[in-house]
Amino acid sequence: MRIVLLLVLSLLGCSCSGSIDEPVSYFNVETPRPFGYVNGDEIPQRIVIETRSGISLQPGSLPGKGQINRWLNLNRVTIKQSGQRYQIDLLYQVFYAPLEVKSLTLPGFTMQLSQGEKSISQNVPAWTFTLSPLRELVVRQSEQGEYMRPDSPPPLLTDTQALYGLAASLSVAVLIAAYLGYLYGCYPNMLRRTLFKQALRKLAGLSKADMERALTIVHHALNSLNGQPLFSNRLDDFYRRNPQYLQVSSQLAWFFNYSNRYFFSDGMIAVAQDLQQLKDLCEQCRKIERGSR
Amino acid sequence: MIRTIRHFTLWAALALSLAAFVYSAGTLYGIHHDNNLIRQLISGKDVAVNKVISGEPELRLARAFYFKQKHRYDEALSTLSLVMDKGDRNFQAKARYNLGNLYLEQAVQQAKTININAAMPLAGLAKQAYRQALALDSGNWDAKYNLEVAMRLLPEMDRVDIPDDSPINQKSQLWTTVPGFPRGLP
Repeated sequence: MRIVLLLVLSLLGCSCSGSIDEPVSYFNVETPRPFGYVNGDEIPQRIVIETRSGISLQPGSLPGKGQINRWLNLNRVTIKQSGQRYQIDLLYQVFYAPLEVKSLTLPGFTMQLSQGEKSISQNVPAWTFTLSPLRELVVRQSEQGEYMRPDSPPPLLTDTQALYGLAASLSVAVLIAAYLGYLYGCYPNMLRRTLFKQALRKLAGLSKADMERALTIVHHALNSLNGQPLFSNRLDDFYRRNPQYLQVSSQLAWFFNYSNRYFFSDGMIAVAQDLQQLKDLCEQCRKIERGSR
Repeated sequence: MIRTIRHFTLWAALALSLAAFVYSAGTLYGIHHDNNLIRQLISGKDVAVNKVISGEPELRLARAFYFKQKHRYDEALSTLSLVMDKGDRNFQAKARYNLGNLYLEQAVQQAKTININAAMPLAGLAKQAYRQALALDSGNWDAKYNLEVAMRLLPEMDRVDIPDDSPINQKSQLWTTVPGFPRGLP
């Protein structure tokens, strides 16, 4: 029982003291390795601070951009705030030429936090690091005297942007020209290669009752392919110019015969099989025009 | 009507894209021409002045590089000073590094002839240029090295250990020198 009482008391004690009274609930200075820097290096320092609500950071109390002392510059100060959490990134740059490994100190400073009219200070401690020399103590000599690094060669102009512009404008021009060419009928061969494709598409929706229309469609496709109306007595001439269609000569003969009978004799009744045969013919012709047969 | 408009729009778009093509082809040709001039300058052959004056800052940087190789320091300096604020960050860092080298080389030469009075300001200018180059691009190792050369040539007095009470001294000094509030003015 006594132990339980003690536990409860200690828990109460913990909750009473601690972060509620503290104006700053979290404070940390994050710095990189404290060694291995050389003249001209940049050293980042991150300060993370979390305050109680109602307390805000005074940005004016942070060190200002520019020269801090003879050998130290502050190049960038960025403050990121999310709620009561502040993340302050300082970027220092060292300009110091030591003769041997030398220990230097980033100066500390005091940040001001304000709560209404009250002001609270928070110390950022100084940070010590070591700086190494780049040159040996007894310096080698070149013909001109002291050895120094040569000039940086002047850069060439970049042509990437102009190349992209060239490629983009050229491709747009070619596309538009191609489309205009299509509109102006500059690709008769391309149209000839889609004659039976279009005919097949039109035939697909037809039934045996539309036999007249189906026959007209196939006639139209053959006429367009021939360049002039094609009749059965001129088939030889057609084969001479389009020898690849000899493969379907028997089917074509049937087609002209059937069309003749359909249009010029009475009492002809179309059956579904005829329409199917017509579609088959069209399919064969499509394969020929596509070049796959 | 709509078809006619579409038709004309297509022709206009074609004309526009062809114009853009001609323009970028011209730009590309200009870039290649300038790059040839830069290569020529790097290899140590001079080019006509008017080509450089009307050209890009890269061309001027190349000409300054050429002058420096030929030890014509004054001409190199006047050419470089024209491109200091031009170009992107990287270009400015390069220009400042080359400017630093220009000063440092002269400073080293003066120091060799024991002409310290001439060498000191040149080394100071070199250091300033290297610091600026490093502020723009802290990864430039050549600038770090040459800054160290300049700093050894002209060592800086360490003023880090000034006692902390100096502002107070200054303050009290200030109060003693202020004669008092002027009276009797309207």
